[in-house]
Amino acid sequence: MPQHHSAPALHAEGLTKRYGRRPALVDCHLEIPPGRIIGLVGPNGAGKSTLLQLACGLITPTSGSLRVLGAPPAADATHLARVSFVAQDMPVYANLTVADHLRMGGRLNPGWDADLADRRVTRLGLDPRQRAGRLSGGQRAQLALTIAAAKRPELLMFDEPAAALDPLARSGFLRDLTELVTELGASAIFSSHLLADVERVCDHLIVLGGGRVQLAGDVRALLATHHRLVPAQDGPERLPTGVEPVWSWHTDGHRRTVVRAPGPLPDGPWRVEPVPLEELVLSYLSRAAAGPTGSGPADSGPAGSGPTGSGPAATAWEVRR
Amino acid sequence: MIWWTWRQFRTQAVVAAVLLAVLATALVVFGLHLRQEYRAAAADCSGPAGCVAQLAQFQDSYRNPLYLLDALLILAPALVGMFWGAPLVARELETGTHRLVWNQSITRQRWLTVKLALSGLAAMAVVGLSSVLLTWAASPYDAVAGDRFTALLFGARNIAPVGYALFTMVLGTVFGLLVRRTVPAMALTFVLVVAVQVLVPTAIRPHLAPPVVAAYPVTADTVRNLTFLGSEADIGGLRVPDAWVVSHSKLLGADGRQVDQARYDRCLGGGFDGVADCLGALDLHVEVTYQPGHRYWTFQWRESGLYLAAALLLAGLGRWVVRRRIG
Repeated sequence: MPQHHSAPALHAEGLTKRYGRRPALVDCHLEIPPGRIIGLVGPNGAGKSTLLQLACGLITPTSGSLRVLGAPPAADATHLARVSFVAQDMPVYANLTVADHLRMGGRLNPGWDADLADRRVTRLGLDPRQRAGRLSGGQRAQLALTIAAAKRPELLMFDEPAAALDPLARSGFLRDLTELVTELGASAIFSSHLLADVERVCDHLIVLGGGRVQLAGDVRALLATHHRLVPAQDGPERLPTGVEPVWSWHTDGHRRTVVRAPGPLPDGPWRVEPVPLEELVLSYLSRAAAGPTGSGPADSGPAGSGPTGSGPAATAWEVRR
Repeated sequence: MIWWTWRQFRTQAVVAAVLLAVLATALVVFGLHLRQEYRAAAADCSGPAGCVAQLAQFQDSYRNPLYLLDALLILAPALVGMFWGAPLVARELETGTHRLVWNQSITRQRWLTVKLALSGLAAMAVVGLSSVLLTWAASPYDAVAGDRFTALLFGARNIAPVGYALFTMVLGTVFGLLVRRTVPAMALTFVLVVAVQVLVPTAIRPHLAPPVVAAYPVTADTVRNLTFLGSEADIGGLRVPDAWVVSHSKLLGADGRQVDQARYDRCLGGGFDGVADCLGALDLHVEVTYQPGHRYWTFQWRESGLYLAAALLLAGLGRWVVRRRIG
C-alpha cells in the first residue's frame, strides 16, 4: 500500500480539544512525515496524552481535524490494524496470562505476527503461563510493546512508555522499541517528559507547552537552525539581524540567548555556540510558560533564575542530566 | 472476537453452568416428586365428592415451594443483569483495559455488539432453560390451580423470562458503559430491573391487548373464594376461571347499581358461610375487566417482543455511546 506510506503519519489542522471549558490542546497544526521516530515532549498537562488519545481515536476533537496515516483516527478495522497505541498505564488483563494476551492479539488482528510475538516473549524470558497482573512494570511494558508490535502496524504510539520504569528497564525498553520500529519499517510516536530518552531514540520532535505546539521538526534540522549567542566581553548586547530570539537568560553576568536562524550567522561582537537539544526544548518551553502569546522572548523571563550555566529553567519539568 | 468474548466470560459461564446444573437437578427431582403426588391425588376420585379434597391438599403441599421457585426465576434476570451485564464493560473501563482492546483491529461497535450478542445468548439460554424446567415441573400444579396468567406466575413460565434475561443483560451492560464503575452499575441495574418487573405487570401488561369487560355473577361460591369483603361492597381476590382479572367494580345489584347498603350490611352480620349464602341469594354481579385465558400465548409473545425491542434499543444506545462519548 504505497499510497499509505506517502501519507503523513500525523496531519493536524486547527486541532483543539477542550474538557468542559478547560482547553487541553489549542489550535494545533502539525505535519509529521512517515517513517520517523517522533518524540512528543512537554511538561505535565501540556496536552501530550490528549494529542495521542486523539490520534488513536479514544477521544474526539472539539474542533479542527486530525488525520493519521491519511485517514481519520480509528476510522475502521483496517485503519485500526495500521495503528498501535499503548496507553500510559500499560493496561493488561490482570487475571489473564501472557499467552492469553498473545492469543487475543492473534484473534483480534488479521495481520498478527505470531512469530514475532513468540520470539520476543521467549527472548524476554516471560513465562506464557504467568498472569499479567503479576508481571513487573518492565515486563508489563514489554508485553504491551509486544502486542503493539506484533500487529505489524505502520504507526506505533506510546503514551509515556518509560515513565514508570527503572533506568535499566527503561533503557532496555527504548532499545527494543527502536529495534522493532526499524524491523517493522514503521513510524513511532512516543511522549515523554524525559528529554534524555527522546534525545536517544528520536529523529523528530514535537514540543507541546500550554496545549500548543511550540516547536516541531526534524531533530538535526532543529539543531542546525538554532544557536546559542553569547555577547563578546564588554560588547554591546545586541543580536544579529535576521535571527529570531527564543529565550535569554543571564549566567556569570553574561546574557545568553538561544536564537533561531535559518542560515549561517554573520560574524560580530558575539560568540556562537551550538545548542544542546535539551536547552533548545527548555528555551521554547520557558518562552511558552512566560506568556500565553509565546512572544516577547528577550526580556520577559526570569533572567538569571536558573543555576549557573544551566540554561533556561521551566517549572514542572524533569531534567535528567 | 467470539473467542475473546468467551475467554473473558469463561469464569462467569462456568459458575452459571454449575448453578444451572444444581437448579436443573433440583427441578427435575421436584417435578418427578410433584407428579407422583399428583397421580396419587387424582387416582382416588371415585367418591361422591370426586377428588376435590385430595387436589386441594396437593395444592397446599406444593404452594410454598413453588412460590419460592417462581420468585427465584423472577429474580434470575435481575441477577443476570447485575452479575453479567453490569461488569461486562464497566470493569474494562474501570481498569483501563478498554484502551488495550479498542486498539486491536476491531471497531468498538463490533466489539460491543459481539459481547452483547454472546452474553445475551448465554443469559437467554440459562434463564430459558430454567424456565422450561420450572414450567415442566409445575405443569400438573398449574393445571389444577388454573392461574398461570397471574402476575407472578406469568413471568416465571414459558418464554417471558427469556425476554427479561436479554433485556436485563443489555441494560446492565449499557449502565456499566454510562456509569463506568462496576458496583454502582450493578446497584443501578438491580434497582431498575426491580422497578421494571413491578411496573410492567401492573401498568403495561394489562394493555398488551384491549381487555374484555363483562358482567360476572357473584354466587355464594364466588364469595367464599374472595379474600376481602369491605364494608362498602368492595371486594378483593376475585377469581374468574380461565381469565386474568385486571380490575373489577364493587358488588352490583341486578339494576347495575352498587348493592343496597342496608341489604349488604344485613348479610355481613351472619357467620362466614352465612355471609356467602346470603350474598349469593342477592343476585349480585361485578363488572370485570379481564384478559381471557386463551390470550395467554399472545401475551407471552407480545411481552417477550416488548423486552426484545427494549433490549435492541438499549444495544443501539450502547453502540452510539461507545462510538461517540467514551475516551
